[in-house]
Amino acid sequence: MIQATNPLRIGLRQERVVSPQCLVIFGASGDLTHRKLVPALFELFKQRRLPSEFALLGCARRPWSDEEFRNKMSKSLAIEIRQSPKDWKEFSNRLFYEPVNLEHPEDVIKLRSRLEEIDKIKATHANRTFYLSVAPKFYASGCKSLADAGLLKDPKRSRVVIEKPFGRDYRSAQSLNSIVQNCALESQVFRIDHYLGKETVQNILVLRFANTIFEPIWNRNYISNIQITSSETVGVEDRAGYYESSGALRDMVQNHLTQMLAITAMEPPGHFDPEAIRNEKAKVLQAAHLANELEPWKCCVRGQYSKGGSKSNPLLGYRDEVGVDPNSTTETYVAMKIFINNWRWQGVPFYIRTGKRLAKRTSEVALTFREAPVHLFDAAGGTPTSNQLILRIQPNEGAEFKFEVKSPGSGMRSRPVEMEFSYDESFGEPSDEGYVRLLADAMLGDPTLFTRSDEVEAAWRLYTPLLEMIEDSPWQLPTYPYESRTWGPTQSDELLAKDHLLWRRP
Amino acid sequence: MSPQLTLQTPLQIPPQEIPGYLQKLWSQDQSDNKGANTFCLLVWHPAWMEQKLVSTGRINGPVIGVQRSDLIDEARKIVLEKDLPHSTPPLAKEVFNSFKTTNISKQHEDLRGQHIDSAISQLQPRRLITLAPNLEQGHDLETLVAAYCPLPEEGGGNSACGDVIVLKGDTNSLKEGLCIVEELIPEDLPSWLWWNGSLDEDPDILSQLALPARRIILDSALGEPSHCLNVLQERIKSGQAVNDLNWLRLRTWRETLAMVFDPPNRRDSLSNIVNLDIDIQGDHLVQGLLLASWIADKLGWESTLEIEKEGQSYRTRFKRPDDLMVNFRLMPLPLGNPGINPGQIIGLRLICQSTTNEKAGLCVILASESGECMRLEAGGVASMELLEEVVPLQNSPVERDVALLLESSRGSTSPLLSNATPIARKLLNLIESKK
Repeated sequence: MIQATNPLRIGLRQERVVSPQCLVIFGASGDLTHRKLVPALFELFKQRRLPSEFALLGCARRPWSDEEFRNKMSKSLAIEIRQSPKDWKEFSNRLFYEPVNLEHPEDVIKLRSRLEEIDKIKATHANRTFYLSVAPKFYASGCKSLADAGLLKDPKRSRVVIEKPFGRDYRSAQSLNSIVQNCALESQVFRIDHYLGKETVQNILVLRFANTIFEPIWNRNYISNIQITSSETVGVEDRAGYYESSGALRDMVQNHLTQMLAITAMEPPGHFDPEAIRNEKAKVLQAAHLANELEPWKCCVRGQYSKGGSKSNPLLGYRDEVGVDPNSTTETYVAMKIFINNWRWQGVPFYIRTGKRLAKRTSEVALTFREAPVHLFDAAGGTPTSNQLILRIQPNEGAEFKFEVKSPGSGMRSRPVEMEFSYDESFGEPSDEGYVRLLADAMLGDPTLFTRSDEVEAAWRLYTPLLEMIEDSPWQLPTYPYESRTWGPTQSDELLAKDHLLWRRP
Repeated sequence: MSPQLTLQTPLQIPPQEIPGYLQKLWSQDQSDNKGANTFCLLVWHPAWMEQKLVSTGRINGPVIGVQRSDLIDEARKIVLEKDLPHSTPPLAKEVFNSFKTTNISKQHEDLRGQHIDSAISQLQPRRLITLAPNLEQGHDLETLVAAYCPLPEEGGGNSACGDVIVLKGDTNSLKEGLCIVEELIPEDLPSWLWWNGSLDEDPDILSQLALPARRIILDSALGEPSHCLNVLQERIKSGQAVNDLNWLRLRTWRETLAMVFDPPNRRDSLSNIVNLDIDIQGDHLVQGLLLASWIADKLGWESTLEIEKEGQSYRTRFKRPDDLMVNFRLMPLPLGNPGINPGQIIGLRLICQSTTNEKAGLCVILASESGECMRLEAGGVASMELLEEVVPLQNSPVERDVALLLESSRGSTSPLLSNATPIARKLLNLIESKK
């Protein structure tokens, strides 16, 4: 029987250790805290990456006690606790709770004294990370309250983590940035995008910049187009309230897909330094624009899933979901064409698509290379297939490279084959959830995988023509219906057909 | 990266006045600046070889306490001049003892403690206290104090500042001055002791400086092997956070070996290891034993009481969890022009042979260079699946290794090291019984 873990690997990873500190989570009664943040922290604790001088202070409006908070968290972590009860016992002693309404200054003053008390009990040295896992409308007031209470005064010992979405459009992101930057230095602000916590997204950087074979061909001379896909099979589930006001463009494209675009297209940084990397990401996003900004409907398609599935497993259409307006025009699918105006990418189209209730759950970046200038051989498929490099973000994390080889036989016919790299096969162990990496990085004060103010603004600015059109004249960008569990509306295929291309079927 | 010097010329002030001076130094600054909130590093920094080479005029001064290339080159020349075995490491005791200090040249400048390697200064230590013993006797205790701010290479930044304190004098004067050291260590910050010398020297000073709550950095390749392992084991047993540079230098071997068995289809071979051979440079056995002990610990092998000496090599056996035996051979190889660090591993061979499927053999060879790979290939492994990797020797400057430890330590001993040390100690006892 194959051993589940490589015994020589155990304890070998030398991860950076978080310095003594208290992590304060606002919105501690919320879903994200239960499902992602506390499990990620427990994982960090089990990996011995949290110091003994660590405390987690949950804050929300509910009048819970420390004990109640610990009990609630233990319910969400029932399976993990069963596997490591001793670790949980130790970890839960580090959990505290304080009822706080961020809009009540007296609560924040009270919070300050509670933190001082925790500093004494847990020796956390007044080193604090504040995590705003609250509704976006509280980001600005939350930062202000913390600043007014003097809790962000020391730039070396205080940080603030802000969840997505950071703003609703370019203007609101700008205004939120200016409020946040009045409260704290940019170096204290960590805007989180959990996609950047994924090993496979980070691997794009390593693949590009640690290998000499890719970078010389990573440009307009060799690449004909790039497709970035993030598809889900699930529908809106219980997020109708939020989703109705955001749609796929705000929920997925402006953040996750744009980050994938930036990492795929950025120039190599001079060194692996947070600012050097973020400079390059911001630069490439500033150079990106919709293929047709004046007539966005020519380069963008919106869709909305309608019913589908089988007789035995029927699936509701978006407008029939609980909490969704029956006349909703919110997009659950969006596809678009983007260009990047720089020396590397001039003229290379980047096709981006995301959607709910699509045929398959997948996230990938597919780079298609230009055809050979002369076709010397017969191709088994009629025409030779272009070389493709596919970076699979999830599931089945890895990469594959498609290229032509001689088909066996007496003739000289070519056919495509695939060369594969799979994380599972090479490493055999699951990688950490994105939040594990990002929480550790925020507490370490390492902003490399967080978005800087100019990046966020550039990302919003890129989609401004679309957002304005959806707002002002939505009929020009209609939401075309598509059957659940298909690959989106046919209009999306037409978007590529105009360029004599097809969407990749992952 | 270039090393950094203190911004001001260190002030020489009497030991008893230092605490007061430091207090004044910081209170004169902006009211809320109390310096970096990081750690305090206490360094035992004899640099005996450098002192001797500078004082005899064989290399130029000042003494800076860094393993610079002219120092190593000169020490290698001495190995040849004095007809020492070519396999003698350049900083070995034998080299130091082989030349005399009679021709003492002019008084040399001594910048130990003021010359901060950038790998360390980038970590912004709050306080650096250096104990710099003088080679010659008759030097009274001299104490120097200065503030410093690391200069960020990229420019800008809000570098937190710290201070450096240097205690100089002959060993006896320094011993007398030890009483003030504790007073100088900030209570609210982690404190480290870097024993930057052989573990054989002055156990009294070591025990006075390495208080239980202090994290210690030492090098188990420097000193008599048995004594090195004793110190390591005692300190770990006492609960002290021990960081061994010799163990740190093993990291590429551990990582490369683990990497071989990452693909799930190779994992089964780990249960079927029948032979483990480790070749080391020279005859300092500690690093080789630590690597074998780490493997044994991870795979649940138990050491037996068998030991044989065959030429230069030592052979013993481990018992696997399935009660089958693993043959272990440790081979010291006398190589010309050896590295600075004694006893570095240069080759490892693992042979895995399943009892149920004799054809499914796997031979893993890790070696520091291709010649060593070929040497380890000899011996009938041709019929097996062969995996070979080159593991470059770790010759990074010691200051960089120290910075790595300062940056990554959890304030406790690595569980891998604490599990491997007693096994290594047991193996060394067996070996010594055969000497």
